[in-house]
This record gives sequence, C-alpha cells and structure tokens, in this order.
Amino acid sequence: MDLSELERDNTGRCRLSSPVPAVCRKEPCALGVDEAGRGPVLGPMVYAICYCPLSRLADLEALKVADSKTLSESERDRLFAKMKEDRDFVGWALDVLSPNLISTSMLGRVKYNLNSLSHDTAAGLVQYALDQGVQVAQVFVDTVGMPDTYQQRLQQRFPGVEVTVKAKADALYPVVSAASICAKVARDQAVRNWQFVEKLQDLDADYGSGYPNDPKTKAWLRRHVEPVFGFPQFVRFSWRTAQSILEKEAEDVTWEDSGTEDQEGLGRITSYFNEGPRTRPRLPHRYFQERSLEAATSL
Amino acid sequence: MARSGDCADGARARQHVFLLPECLKDASKKMKSGLMFVKLVNPCSGEGAIYLFNMCLQQLFEIKVFKEKHHSWFINQSVQSGGLLHFATPMDPLFLLLHYLIKADKEGKFQPLDQVVVDDMFPNCILLLKLPELEKLLQHVTEERGIDKKKYYKFSKEKTLKWLEKKVNQTMAALKTNNVNVGARVQSTAFFSGDQVSSDKEEDYIRYAHGLISDYISKELSDDLSKYLKLPEPSASLPNPPSKKVKLSDEPVEAKEDYTKFNTKGLKTEKKNSKMTAAQKALAKVDKSGMKSIDSFFGAKSKKKIGKI
Amino acid sequence: MESSDEAAVQKHRIHLRPVSLRDAAPVTLHLLPCEVPVNQPAPVGRFFTPAIRQGPAGLEVSFRGRKLRGEEVVLPPGLVGYVMVMEEKQDFSEGPENDDEQEEQELVEPPEALERNFDCFIGATASFSRFTLWGLETIPGPDAKVRGALTWPSLAAAIHSQVPED
Repeated sequence: MDLSELERDNTGRCRLSSPVPAVCRKEPCALGVDEAGRGPVLGPMVYAICYCPLSRLADLEALKVADSKTLSESERDRLFAKMKEDRDFVGWALDVLSPNLISTSMLGRVKYNLNSLSHDTAAGLVQYALDQGVQVAQVFVDTVGMPDTYQQRLQQRFPGVEVTVKAKADALYPVVSAASICAKVARDQAVRNWQFVEKLQDLDADYGSGYPNDPKTKAWLRRHVEPVFGFPQFVRFSWRTAQSILEKEAEDVTWEDSGTEDQEGLGRITSYFNEGPRTRPRLPHRYFQERSLEAATSL
Repeated sequence: MARSGDCADGARARQHVFLLPECLKDASKKMKSGLMFVKLVNPCSGEGAIYLFNMCLQQLFEIKVFKEKHHSWFINQSVQSGGLLHFATPMDPLFLLLHYLIKADKEGKFQPLDQVVVDDMFPNCILLLKLPELEKLLQHVTEERGIDKKKYYKFSKEKTLKWLEKKVNQTMAALKTNNVNVGARVQSTAFFSGDQVSSDKEEDYIRYAHGLISDYISKELSDDLSKYLKLPEPSASLPNPPSKKVKLSDEPVEAKEDYTKFNTKGLKTEKKNSKMTAAQKALAKVDKSGMKSIDSFFGAKSKKKIGKI
Repeated sequence: MESSDEAAVQKHRIHLRPVSLRDAAPVTLHLLPCEVPVNQPAPVGRFFTPAIRQGPAGLEVSFRGRKLRGEEVVLPPGLVGYVMVMEEKQDFSEGPENDDEQEEQELVEPPEALERNFDCFIGATASFSRFTLWGLETIPGPDAKVRGALTWPSLAAAIHSQVPED
C-alpha cells in the first residue's frame, strides 16, 4: 500500500483509495465499513471501506476474506494483494486519522469524542464512494457500541441505501471483512513506517501492541515522556493511560479552559488587596486593563 | 505534581522578556554603565513600582508589564512561565516630582528640591534630581524663589492644573491619531471602522485622556483636574460599562439579544453601530470572577473598569 | 527584586549592562496560550518547531495534544526586544553581610557612585524583533490583548512628551 502521502505529513488526516472499478459504477454494490486501531494509545486509527457489485459478492467470498483479527499479518497482506488483483470488481478507500488529529479533536474546547469522530469518518467514506459514482445499494458497518442509533443516523444520512450496522459485521459480511483487512494492513504499515514529526534521539520502536494494557506499551510511554512537551505526536494524548503518566511525570500545563478559572480569579483579587497595606490601590485605567498592562512592581 | 511549582523554579534563572526603545540600544554604544532599574513610588497608587534610568542621556522610563493568565514563553530552547512582556517607555519625571512637591507643600513653605525629594521607603528617588532641565520642568508646577543662586520651590496647584490640562490635550490628540477606542464600551479592533472613530465624542476623548493622566497623579489631584476641565460628574446610576454581557449602546442592532440599555442621563452617548462580535463577547466575558465586589468597592471609579483585575 | 526583605528591595538598583544590549544574539520566541509552571531548558527545537505547519489561515502546531494556531507578531518600529537575565550575585566577601552594615556603607559612599556593592546586575542574553503568538485553537488575531499592549509605547510617547510652552 502506498502510504507516502501520509509519511510526508502525518499530523492530520489522509485519504487513500483504489481506482473505482468500472463495473461498480454500473451495477448495484455492497459496501463494507470497518476500522483498525481504535483502541491503541499509539499511532493512527484507520477507517476503510471496501465495495463490490452484488453480482460479484461470491467472487469476493471465494478469496476467503475473513475478520482481519483472525488472520495473521502475512495472510492479511496476501489477501490485500489478491484484492488488488481483483481490481476489476473490488474497490476500496481509507481514511488515516493521525494520533495528533485524534488528540486535538478529543481534547478540543468543544470535545469531539471518538465515537463521533468515527461515525463522521465512516459516513465521509460512504459519501466519497457515492461521489465517485459507485452504485452503493447496501452498506454494512461493523460497530462497537450501540448499533441501533448508529444505524438510524447512517440510514437518515443515506436514505437511498440499505444500511446494516452490526457488532461483529467483519465476521459476517465479506465486504466488511475485506474492509477490515484494508484498514488493518494500512494501520500496521503506518505504524511500522511512522515518521516521527519530532527530531528525537534515543527513539526505540519497542512499544509492543500499542494497546494501553500492554506492559511494553506502558513502559515505552514512560521511557519517552518529556516534562514540558509530554509525548511525541505518535501518542494519543487523550487516552487515560497517557494522561495519567503526564500527571505524574510531566509539568502541569493549564489552559484557559482547564476549569479552575473561578477559584484562581478570586485568589488573585484577594492578593491584590492584601498587597497594599498603606493605600488602597486604584485600578489602572481601562486603557491598561483592556491590554492586560499594569505597572511593573518587581523584576 | 512532584516537579511543578515554585520549588522547580528556584534552581533556574528567570528570563525577562523586555521591549526597550531603540534609543537605549543606540545609547548603549557609548556607555559602560548608567542604565538601572530602581523602585520608586508610583504617584497614582502610592505603591512601589519599577522605573528605568538612563543616567547618560538622563532619561526616565516607566515599566509596564503585559500580564495575562495562561501564558508562557518558549525562549529558544527553554520554557519561561508567566508569559510576561515588559515595556519600557519614556516617562515625564514631573509626575514623580509632583508626588514629592505636593507632600512637601503640607509644610506650606518654599524649599530646595533636595529637601523635597526625599523618601525613606524609596531612597533612589534622589536619582530624579540628576535629570536634566529640572528647573525648566518645575516651572510648570511650582512657584520658585531664588536666593544666592539656590532655588526654592513651592507646589502651585494653579500652575499644575494648567500643565495637566496641556497633558490632557496632547493625550487627546494622541488618542485620536492612535485610533484608540474611547467610547464607553468594549470594541473589537477587527470591527473597527471609520464611522465609529468619528462617532466617538469629544467628551469621551477628554474623559478618557483625563483617566489616563490620572494614572500618574494622586486621586485628589485627579478630582481637582476633573473639576478644572469641567468634566461632568459621572452619574452614580451609570451601569458599569464594559462588564460581561452588558451592551453599551442605546441602539441595539440585534433586538433579540438581551441588551441592557445604557442610562443616558448625565453622559451623552451617540448612536453607534454596535453589533457585538464573538470576539467582543469573549473579551467582555473575561474574568467574571469577583467583578461585582470590585465594582461596588470602587463605586464611582468603576466606570473605567473592564476586563482583568 | 523578589526578596522577602522589602526594605532592602526598595533600595536596590538593578544595573542593566549596556554592553549586553549592543550585540545580543537573535532569539526565537513563542508566546503560548497556556501556563507551563516552570523556567527550565526545554527541547523546543526537537518537539515544537518541527511540528509547525503553515495552514490555510496561519500557523498550526500541537502542544500537549491541543491544537494551537498562531501568527508572527512584528514589534512596532522604534522598539527592540530583549531577553534579560539577572546575574548571579557577586560574592560578598568584601562587602557587608547584613542590611545594617549595608546602610552604613551606602551613607559613606559618594552620591555619584551609581553602583553599590549590594546592587544587582541584569544583562540582555538575546534580542528579537518579532515573536510567534499562539492562540488555543483560534488565531489570536487583532483583538489579542498583547497586540493592544504593543500599541502602548506610541501612546506613552505622546503622553510623556513635554507640553508646549504658552
């Protein structure tokens, strides 16, 4: 898979896709949606769609695609290669969401949680297929969480398409299995070839699975925590594992939306009055207050 | 947090970020010493404040500091907490001398300057006596007598008010050329337009300039100046201008918003295009905490206040 | 000037070394929209600078998993920026140890002596003419208070210039 675009800049999101097979623009298609790398505290999350004409579903099944989690890495690579050979009737597209995008979304002033981010990305990929002229008739989505509301929402957004959201859809529907293979292959490759934005020395790749409960992953995080910057952007700052290491081992950075505002404000006013035992200070003119300027009283 | 806070600070040098007038850099080429920061009495607050002397060119600078919550500097390969930015700007030494002249005037007699400018708390005030052309400056605010070449001075309120009026006038002119928003409301710079500049009234300018000058003189002198300039007393019923959600206009553009009407009694306001931008709202929202108590605390003065405390 | 001994503080003079203003090396400054409660070395060039991107509406970077948007701020003409650091106190072996003696010392010194042995020294370590101003998720823009603050020197010059004679 050619991830060179991602390797050039992995701070945002990146979309990759196969050419659209001509037959998919003519015949009604089934489209599967799946994701890889939702849970890890490291690296990107990848959303993938895979689609083929309803008339060729048996051919896709004949590839023996299965839930990517049940396959070894080499089997996944082999199957992805096969899908490439079958490019006359199988198409795919994927979105790589960088860990930085995930962090900044989830930690934003307006919190954009992982579910919303996932759902919007999935819907975006379906829309992309439609925009490319794929005759999407059925959409199958694998989900963690509540299938019903998710299905309702997708169905509303794509009224002309028959939407099925199901837990374990990656094991039930070959298009979803195929999508899961695309996602997993891309995620593995992206992690393997991750270009760190930071110029780090002493960087090792011994981070295990990247899942928060993996002792190797935790040890890697502790090894690479930096007191001011925290972690490289390869780490999802929004994960509790990352946060709790930061709380213990890094400086306590506070933002204007950090939430302790009111108390601090009161503290400052009190001290303002206490500072002047001899005369009650007059407040600086509005010109200075509007510019946060005050007379310097110490160096 | 084990490593945060003051204990970690202690070991590292604090870095001060300063903006200096270019003339100081130029002057530094010729001097070995003579630039110094000292603490002197701030004539407005009566508290100590930092000033900078250039003893070679005999200049005085005041030091203001930009200080907003939640800021820090990256300075090359280091981090500096606080995010302070210091400004050194030229200061008319007469404001500092006035403080002592008025204090000395309690004795009601003519005195030599070196007996006037004395301060147990801020002994560095004697450096003011080294500034050039003091005699010429002092003419603005004192009556003087000369006996045997020695000059004796006595504070003159009449002359001082005349001098302060000139200060107010030149400040007003600068406010206009600098496009400072002097209207009684928060205004977004982004929202600034020519119309609004012209809609700011002369009285707003004079009041604003008086307020700025008042930051350099005592409360008593500020009140005297206000009367001298015939500024109307700010009405006690005035709402506290730019606080929070209050919209300070008598002509709301978006009627559905909850604008608190400005009480026009005693203070003229003009029709102004006054849609509040998001930035204004954000600005107006800053530091709600404690605003109320301070407003009431400072009663009439609260008119000036806005934003941070 | 942050000593707890207030009385001594008021007396101090902090001498700014003129020579340090002459050839201070240029420095790169970023003003961040968050409080980092320490003053210490930090690998800005390894973590921060390489992550800055030119976005459609200005500069973009992340810090601690938060999105920052920024812009260059050029100092108004006539101003020079300096980073200054207080020098470590000279050793006091020759000077008096306590305040009482210092006071005595001051009295016997001629008034012309601007530098007394209990004074401090500060020097510029670097200079700048611009810095990068960062906002949390939004570009600080013209309404940023620090931009307002930068207009102060020109107004100050007008307020403090000598008044015209009658």
